[in-house]
Amino acid sequence: MFKKLIAESAAKSPWLFHINAGSCNGCDIELVSVLTPRYDAERLGFKLTGTPRHADIVVVTGPVTKQSLPRVLRAISQVPEPRCIVTMGSCPQSGNVFKGSYSVAGPLSKYVHVDVDVAGCAPKPEAVIDGLALATKILKEKREQM
Amino acid sequence: MDFPFVKEAISQLFSKSSCAMYPAVPSEAAPHYRGRIVYHPDRCIACGMCERVCAGGAISRTIEKTEEGDKVTMSFNLGSCTFCSHCADFCSRNAIELTGDYHMVATKEEDLIVTGSFIKKPPVKKAAPAPAAAQEKPAEAAPACAVAPREDGKPISDPSKCVYCTLCAKKCPAGAIEVDRANKTWKLDEEKCVGCGTCADACPKKCIIM
Repeated sequence: MFKKLIAESAAKSPWLFHINAGSCNGCDIELVSVLTPRYDAERLGFKLTGTPRHADIVVVTGPVTKQSLPRVLRAISQVPEPRCIVTMGSCPQSGNVFKGSYSVAGPLSKYVHVDVDVAGCAPKPEAVIDGLALATKILKEKREQM
Repeated sequence: MDFPFVKEAISQLFSKSSCAMYPAVPSEAAPHYRGRIVYHPDRCIACGMCERVCAGGAISRTIEKTEEGDKVTMSFNLGSCTFCSHCADFCSRNAIELTGDYHMVATKEEDLIVTGSFIKKPPVKKAAPAPAAAQEKPAEAAPACAVAPREDGKPISDPSKCVYCTLCAKKCPAGAIEVDRANKTWKLDEEKCVGCGTCADACPKKCIIM
């Protein structure tokens, strides 16, 4: 009985964990603007957490540098299932202008399964909200399968 | 007891939210926003300038040989794009457009790739005299007289003005122009030339006529 209630409540409030994998800070600022009062994603239930262990959705920005790769993978492995990984901006999807650099280990999809890609450099806050809404839907499906 | 902010708090309860109520209220991008790329294959001449200037390496061009001609397919990977608009700025035929559509969310990488293809017909072989004369004129250092523009939309250099600086040859995306500074010759490879007009824009003496 409680299980269903918890599942329904959790689906309405997915918590975010943000990983900066060598980003130029453009996408990070856009993500902050999504969470702060102008676009206020908290009215839709999204909340930023300080620890991966509380998170449902992981937002990765940046081209995944060699330095950050082990930390990114360690942080993602600490996120409990079901989880949804969202790449924000062009960098984690392809490396963008940094591709081919000696210090870039990306794209992220080489190492973990990526659920949602939000394209843009940097994406508009509205596009990020779209991506998070899609991630919530995927998360719900994953939770039902478990 | 004094409640200093009660009036303010109650009035705020019934006032309109100051958030952008995005999913409920749709929002348009600002004018000149650079979003999703729209490619017009009917205008493209496959000069390859966009591919050359792309910083993110998002543009690729594949050419397949078919019976009707070369089938040129351009693909724009939005997952690798910086939306800098360099490709659209450099396109001489305005075949690339960056629209205000910012909804670029996908679950698969293939969904973020914009492609378009067209069939490029090989140049029609004309009767020998006319093009041959046009080609020879600039090659020989002819006397001071302006040349007539060619009928097929390809460039022609005015030898009276040309200083053989080789800028046109360097700028040509197809590598169709050959300039010999020592012998003062300007040669155009008609097979390679796509008629994009980059050489005419680049010429400091404005001696190339399209």
